[in-house]
Amino acid sequence: MHPNLKPLADRFISYLAERWEVPVVLKTIEQIPGGASRETYRVRVEAAGEIHGLILRRDPVSSLIDTERALEYQTYVAVYGSEIPVPEPLILEEDARHLERAFSVMREIPGCETGIPLLSTPPYNALRETIGRNKWTLLGKLAAMDVTQLGVAGFMDVPEHPAARELDYWSRVIDADALHPQPVAQATIRWLRRNLPPPGPKLSLVHGDYRSGNFLYTTEGDIRGVLDWEMAHIGDPLEDLAWSLDPVWAWPERDLAGALLPRDQAIGIWERASGIPVNREVFRWWQIFASLKALAIWISSTEDFINGESKEPILGMAGWVLTDRQNRILVDRLQPGSPLLYAEALV
Amino acid sequence: MIPQPGSVLTDLAVKLAMSIAPETTSSFAMANTGLISMLMLSLAQDSERAVANRMADIEDMKTLFRSNDAQPAPGVDLRGAYCESAPTGLHLTEMDVYHAEGLNLLIDLQAWAELHSPPLDEAIWQFLRAHTERNRFDLPDL
Repeated sequence: MHPNLKPLADRFISYLAERWEVPVVLKTIEQIPGGASRETYRVRVEAAGEIHGLILRRDPVSSLIDTERALEYQTYVAVYGSEIPVPEPLILEEDARHLERAFSVMREIPGCETGIPLLSTPPYNALRETIGRNKWTLLGKLAAMDVTQLGVAGFMDVPEHPAARELDYWSRVIDADALHPQPVAQATIRWLRRNLPPPGPKLSLVHGDYRSGNFLYTTEGDIRGVLDWEMAHIGDPLEDLAWSLDPVWAWPERDLAGALLPRDQAIGIWERASGIPVNREVFRWWQIFASLKALAIWISSTEDFINGESKEPILGMAGWVLTDRQNRILVDRLQPGSPLLYAEALV
Repeated sequence: MIPQPGSVLTDLAVKLAMSIAPETTSSFAMANTGLISMLMLSLAQDSERAVANRMADIEDMKTLFRSNDAQPAPGVDLRGAYCESAPTGLHLTEMDVYHAEGLNLLIDLQAWAELHSPPLDEAIWQFLRAHTERNRFDLPDL
């Protein structure tokens, strides 16, 4: 154990012992990289003669995404046990006196990977198609679920016009957090307002950040857990599909969406699994919106890095490098007569 | 001696990624070291080109503001005044303030052009393409 983690580990073990009412012994604790919205730790403990693999997610001092932890936790509770695999939610603790900040605990799903770069190395590169099929099949199944039966309509807003609501929200984020004028973002917002589609035929649980890197996959190509539901909401299922296909998730790869499958193949798998035919004109709107939402997150992370208390390198990295890439994607998609250097044509 | 921030930051970033990161004892430390190295490479690229890029953007925006297509758009006086002015100094922060003024004028101009002047809108998109290309970061894959 890294000495910096000892105070946190001691307090967490005391908390578990009190909550579970049995002695708890720490076996290992390590911080997991890449937790941009929560500090994430893999913890192994022994309690009542059993070893428990846990994932502890604590609110950060500053985050890439401002999210509601309770809503995320309730979403895990709602989805757990459905066709969509997620880690078992165990504890939501909003009282900050235990670990200085609120936190949640999930059961660890062992023996899996999440990294995108690994997808281009053996043995995973041979499994891209399998992982891709599973990825977009699961997303299609999520889109097909009834939000009332799933229980999420009990604690999430049900929007009358999902596209308008999402555009308003992320436009406000850009206006509030941009440290410099953002001409590409503003041109995109105007384009999205001019071309706003009517509400779609179906409301679904939208994961909000469904992309390569946010699910656990195995050496057989199975997906064992879909992670990071902090931006989950009820909305148009095309939002998730568009987000999953954004070129930034496979950069600089252009041919394979999410570094896994050709875009059209991914869309076909999603259509079959969801039973929802993709309206290409409406879908074009959602794909441009997806790039704008990502840009808003990168712009917001710059503001956090410069003005916030946290100086996590991921915030700076997202703020400069990903803003640059997302701007290039949007110019590529919206410039009349674009040479399409970074993104494919949207038809 | 004149510091050379671009090359120094690049050398340090490579040192951090190639020599120090492999010596770290946790995946968390290694990942963060890699991110810091990437950030340093980005800063190295920007420190070398920042003034030239801001000035190129400013000159291109002034060309757009002076174009015949832009004259009917509201705000012609503000754009005219901008075209006749200059940054208050050569520090990057001063350059950035002046650059931001130009971008705000450009945003308003494009909002008008989208509705009234497709050729001007197209010219502004060409500027945005040039602007994003000259400010792009070329980094190893994340």
